[in-house]
Amino acid sequence: MQTILVCDDDKQIVEAIDIYLTGEGFQVIKAYDGYDALELLDVNQVDLMIVDVMMPGLDGIRTTLKVRESSSIPIIILSAKSEDNDKILGLNIGADDYITKPFNPLELVARVKSHIRRYTQLGNLTQNTTENVYKCGGLLIHDDNKEVFVDGEPIKLTPIEYNILLLLVKNAGKVFSIDEIYEQIWNEEAIGADNTVAVHIRHIREKIEINPREPRYLKVVWGVGYKIEKQ
Amino acid sequence: MKKKSWPAGLKKQCSLLLHGLFLCLFFTGISFIYFNENYGRGLSWIHEESYADTLPFTEQLESDVEMIFKYVKYKDLFETDGKLDYNKDMVCVTFSSGKTLIYNLNDMIREAKSWGYYLTDSFEVAGGPAVPERETRNAAIPLIEWKAYDPNAADHYTEPGDAYATREELSLEVLTILGEYYQIQYNYMDRPSNLYFQVSYMDENGQQKLYTNASQYPIADMKNLGRYLYLSGDSILIDTNLKYIPSNITSELENYNLYGNNDYYIILGLDTRYPNTDPYSIAHNAYTKVRVNYITGLIFFALGAGGLLVTLGWLIYLAGYPTLDRTAVSLNTFDHIPMECSLLLAVCCLWSWSCLRDSMGIRLAHLLVTQNHRDFFLAVFEVVGSYLICLVEGFSLLRQYKAQSLWHDSLICRSWRWTVASLNGTTFPVRLTACFLGYLGVNMALIYTIYYLYKHRNFLLVPYLYLVPAVVLIGFQLWTFLLLYRDAGENEKIAFGIFKMSEGETSYKIDTTGFSGKGASLAKTLNNLGDGLDTALQEKVKSERLKADLITNVSHDIKTPLTSIINYVDLLKREKIQDEKIQRYLEILEQKSQRLKNLTEDLVEASKASSGNLKLDIANIDLVELIHQTNGEFEEKFAIRHLELVSGLPSDTILIAADGRRLWRVLENLYNNAFKYAMENSRIYVDVTRRDDYVYFTIKNVSANPLNINADELTERFVRGDVARTSEGSGLGLSIAKDLTHLLGGMFDIYIDGDLFKVQTGFPVLKQP
Repeated sequence: MQTILVCDDDKQIVEAIDIYLTGEGFQVIKAYDGYDALELLDVNQVDLMIVDVMMPGLDGIRTTLKVRESSSIPIIILSAKSEDNDKILGLNIGADDYITKPFNPLELVARVKSHIRRYTQLGNLTQNTTENVYKCGGLLIHDDNKEVFVDGEPIKLTPIEYNILLLLVKNAGKVFSIDEIYEQIWNEEAIGADNTVAVHIRHIREKIEINPREPRYLKVVWGVGYKIEKQ
Repeated sequence: MKKKSWPAGLKKQCSLLLHGLFLCLFFTGISFIYFNENYGRGLSWIHEESYADTLPFTEQLESDVEMIFKYVKYKDLFETDGKLDYNKDMVCVTFSSGKTLIYNLNDMIREAKSWGYYLTDSFEVAGGPAVPERETRNAAIPLIEWKAYDPNAADHYTEPGDAYATREELSLEVLTILGEYYQIQYNYMDRPSNLYFQVSYMDENGQQKLYTNASQYPIADMKNLGRYLYLSGDSILIDTNLKYIPSNITSELENYNLYGNNDYYIILGLDTRYPNTDPYSIAHNAYTKVRVNYITGLIFFALGAGGLLVTLGWLIYLAGYPTLDRTAVSLNTFDHIPMECSLLLAVCCLWSWSCLRDSMGIRLAHLLVTQNHRDFFLAVFEVVGSYLICLVEGFSLLRQYKAQSLWHDSLICRSWRWTVASLNGTTFPVRLTACFLGYLGVNMALIYTIYYLYKHRNFLLVPYLYLVPAVVLIGFQLWTFLLLYRDAGENEKIAFGIFKMSEGETSYKIDTTGFSGKGASLAKTLNNLGDGLDTALQEKVKSERLKADLITNVSHDIKTPLTSIINYVDLLKREKIQDEKIQRYLEILEQKSQRLKNLTEDLVEASKASSGNLKLDIANIDLVELIHQTNGEFEEKFAIRHLELVSGLPSDTILIAADGRRLWRVLENLYNNAFKYAMENSRIYVDVTRRDDYVYFTIKNVSANPLNINADELTERFVRGDVARTSEGSGLGLSIAKDLTHLLGGMFDIYIDGDLFKVQTGFPVLKQP
């Protein structure tokens, strides 16, 4: 059973998260400020930490920094601050994820699960991969079996969706325009390509991302094209 | 201990007194120099010249040399063995009767006495007979055979009568010569003298004939006396240390050499210690005194001048300040007279003083000083008076200058101010007219002056005088041009400044250096206006930012409790409560809490978009690609409400410079808007068209509800097509879209035609490289 440390100065929120996570079979340790959290981390075996940013005493950012001095457990920041700058700051100082309040409980649970899977299981999965296996963060493609895993969970894709995803993962970091994708996948010249590619991309995103509006892997570069974020 | 200082007033009075004393000293010095005999000889003589080097000394020496040779002559004439011999023969005459008589000295003296002549204390001949008696006794005029005292007398007779002389005349001649002999004897022999001489001749028999008053001195000793002169017959060079050689000495020496050989000499020695009283010592003492006087005068002059300057400087430094710390300037009644008046007054005073000199001064001079000092006295009288008048006037001006009222209180300045003030009350045309009339008047006056001077040029002292006003006329034109030129420059700068400010550059400042008058005040006003605008603008930006910050902070504070509400509503729903009513209530709670969430997020975004407080990440993006992507995102969503998306997109790429994510946000809001408000089962049209340098994106849909609202009002915040506000929108979507579009440099227009709702956004197309 994994242990999750939840740290927020709002007790009701901690309570709600506790209910959700306990319902999913996690053990939850509750802390109400940064110092509590650090103390509890010392005495308990914790697999993942959820931390609020705006807290009295030690705030979430400094708590994260402290934790990162000694531990590499997944940290999810949960904050009411939704500006880009706040997200970038949080992720840069060592957090693995950033969820804004008010959050969707299902999304939170999904992200917790995803991070724990990656942290505990994926480490050895990558060891015995042979050829024709493509990996990008928690995204894994076995080209031999035409299988796709996200954080260890198998994903079902249509052939076209699979081909598009494979193309993007093979060239992770490169931006493909709609026309390029169309030409590569359909092997036809794209003359006034319609919305087909965009719709497929949307489908893929809905399947591999926890929150399609804030994708982790398949990113939209608006007005240019699509890419898989290199991790 | 604290140093006791004098009050400033006392100090000033002392300085003034000192100034007066130095003035006296100065003029005393000048008097000393002026009345000195050496006045006009400069300064170089003072330290290098002694009496023996002066011309008066040489004159004295020349007369003495003459006397010495007279002595040479008379010694043989009157003396026998060094004693006066009254039996020496003087004159031989032949009377008309043929009788020849020789008169000796004794005869001649008695003859002279019989005529009433005698010798005075200074051995001058005096007395003489009454005229009538002379006529009777001068009956017989004998022929002069010879004169012992003038052996060659016959050589210089110029007419036959010269060879005859009365006994009275002869006796007078002898007596005169005797007087001279006594004089020499008395001055050089009997009385101790500072001048020593030796004259030596060698006669035919090889006998030395020595004439001296210093037989005890050898020649070498004579040379050591101080000043000497040695001249010998066998040399043409004069051995001397005198500055000026007596001009007669060589000729006299030669003239008295009766023996035809070169074995003779003369040596003169002057004891420059002047132990004896004689003309030399008297003249020397007088000379020394004059010199001392001159030097004293010089010292007085220098001291006086220095003191005058120092006290004048000190007085100038103190002038006008009643205290020593030189803070406030106090003026007396006289100082309040305008500059021109006081100058005029001073000139009048000077003039009256000069009149006073002519009337009273001359009388005073007659009363007080001698004739030859009178001019000097008058000059001093006038100079001192004028100096004092100038001093009073000068210090008055100085005080006014220090109080900075010199120019300000002057009549010129006052009248100028008056003119300006009276013109200021009038309108610009009146001022312009006044200026033009002034310009015209000056020109006319100058031209007339030129004409007048030119016409009368032949009667004038300087015929080309008319050139002066001509030059002034040209200068005046240039000056006017310069003023107009500067004014034009100022106007241009001000116009440029107004242009800049109207363009929004409110911090632009007109550089007012070199501006004057109206231009300066105008430019200053404009700068102030710019400042005001700038401040207002900054205040506005600041308040916008504060508002945005406030909204952001409030939304953070709302989000935390909202999180709990959403979470616990969700938890409640999971309890699977069977009661239909509670189920419905929960549904409403969930819906409204979601709406609240959207609202807070949109609110933050709207405030940021409208205040421009956003960081943009501008890049080159393809608008067509972006529409494709957006279509892809929304196609299935539209299908939920049976909306058909009809897009008319060009096949080629159209690049624009924009922030892709923000532009996506604009499109997302527009598509969401269409999704929410479009009539079900209708079509939504999106097109991209390009006209000239702009690319336009248009989205059109038919509204589900009647749009009885102004198009402009739709982009106001919290305004929605349905006034009842039953749907879930926040009312901020279009407002955010519009603000973001403007931030990205595009345009955003909404058209409403019945139920047709149309939004058009346009962006400048990037030029293809």
